[in-house]
Amino acid sequence: MILVWSERPDLLAELLGEARRLAVQTGTTVGAVSFNHVGDDELASLAASGADSVYVVEGSDASPDSLVGGLVATTEQMHPHVVLIGATKLGLDVAPRVVERTAAGYGAWAVSCELDEDAGEVSATCMIYAGAGLATYRFAAVPTVLTCAPGTFSAKQAAGRSATCQTLELPDLVSPTTVVERRPKVLDSDRLTTTKTVVDVGQGVRDERGIETCRALAVTLEAQLGCSRPIATTREWFAEWLGLSGAKIKPELCLTVGISGAIQHMIGIRNARVIAAINNDENAAIFLQADVGVVADLYEFLPVLIERMEARDVHPA
Amino acid sequence: MNTLALVKYSLDVAEIRVDASARALRLRGVPERFGDTDKMVVEAAVRVKEESGGTVRLICFGPSEARAAAKDLLAMGADEATIIEDPFSGSLDPALVVRIIERAIHEYPQFDLIVAGFASDDGYSHQTAGRIAERLSLPFVSYVREVSVDDDGVTMVRDLEDCLETVRVGTPAVISIAEESLEPRRVTLLQAMKAQKIPITFWSLEDLALDAEEIDSARTTHEIERRAVVVQRRQQVLKRGSLAELADGFIDLLLEEEALK
Repeated sequence: MILVWSERPDLLAELLGEARRLAVQTGTTVGAVSFNHVGDDELASLAASGADSVYVVEGSDASPDSLVGGLVATTEQMHPHVVLIGATKLGLDVAPRVVERTAAGYGAWAVSCELDEDAGEVSATCMIYAGAGLATYRFAAVPTVLTCAPGTFSAKQAAGRSATCQTLELPDLVSPTTVVERRPKVLDSDRLTTTKTVVDVGQGVRDERGIETCRALAVTLEAQLGCSRPIATTREWFAEWLGLSGAKIKPELCLTVGISGAIQHMIGIRNARVIAAINNDENAAIFLQADVGVVADLYEFLPVLIERMEARDVHPA
Repeated sequence: MNTLALVKYSLDVAEIRVDASARALRLRGVPERFGDTDKMVVEAAVRVKEESGGTVRLICFGPSEARAAAKDLLAMGADEATIIEDPFSGSLDPALVVRIIERAIHEYPQFDLIVAGFASDDGYSHQTAGRIAERLSLPFVSYVREVSVDDDGVTMVRDLEDCLETVRVGTPAVISIAEESLEPRRVTLLQAMKAQKIPITFWSLEDLALDAEEIDSARTTHEIERRAVVVQRRQQVLKRGSLAELADGFIDLLLEEEALK
């Protein structure tokens, strides 16, 4: 069996798509884990995405501790060969702890997986050095837990499939951590994954004046603004970021402004059809990873670029 | 509050170059260092010490060359450092690395808090802190941005994807520090000089009653193949000219690439 879990429904569907592909290839089954009530519509949708069975874990308080407990309990009852977990922050918190408790093998940032259930062999290719390389591993421990980033696999819907639903009672579990307060972030990463053009803001943009100029460029280019993780975590301009740990986009054009080209960030934009770069450092790694570039101070260059774009009446292709 | 700060002497991944024809990673000559995350780990530990007293001990599984850089971390306000020498040159499965670190932690049982990074700068697999917590059966709080201590425990702000979450936990506990969270302090010359005088404890696996061969044979993850991700981009870079010339040249290239019309 291949067991699949993510707290994000879109990512869960992607992982189910890959699990179904493996299951068809090897003749095994696919189980999805849910920590919430699963209604008829959702069961049908999970079945269409690729699940043969859905295990609903009851009694969870949504803390990482109870998610770990629920996934360990499900793994111990179902004996999967492979457990696929979405590589969100929560997934990357939970997965290694499940691994430690079930004596599983672990591959982080998996991009592909092969399973020979009869031989009990699992191999997987994983991103290493934050995405600079790929390594293929053979795992001797059972099960093998793999975390997979959003956008690695495609969700596929097949009509006419059905899934069984089974409830698992979670053993009583009191989290040692007390939640005092939650302050939600306003998130809108859909705008980044659905747009054709992205202006990608990096640490070269230092202040309000810089971000205002980037906003003006985005208006001219009918683009959405994205950013690197340091920008998202240290400034209050954006809640979401592009990169290995953030959103991964495939726009027609990604125009980076003050982006250095760190690999963790490039993972998020490297599937753009055209990458353009503006950076004042001629030796910045971004220029080796871009199709088109200008070495210039963005504070001086962007206003001129906007003016020339408007004068020449150019638009996104 | 006594803190153990787990730090890793890591490859600077920004310096990894790719041999495109061989699809190979060139790791030779890539500098090693304690990364930004490690400095934030020490910053968090030192802040806890400033708030509540106690000591900070750094623990590193890595090469003896980490010695000089460990002094820089000590200068931030840590008291002691232990380097467990790595006979596997960084190739060991993280599952086995955590067993070695766990053994070292048992040598320092008087701790209240273990602080680690959310991920190492090179491996980036987000696993050591959580696995250590499981092995020690301690509470685990991940992605911590802010930490403050009082008599009953620790209050922290966790930086999650959809929210900032304030949580409390009793001690002892393991926490992992979030990305870009705690600005590491600047070190004065006096602090740097004082740190030079702090002796670093070096342990071999034998000192921890561990057998290198036995650990090597316990590997369950076997690397079959490794290759570089080769980036093929056109790299047309404009460097000279007036701003208007650069802008027009840039637009021309984007038109040629059919990114604009």
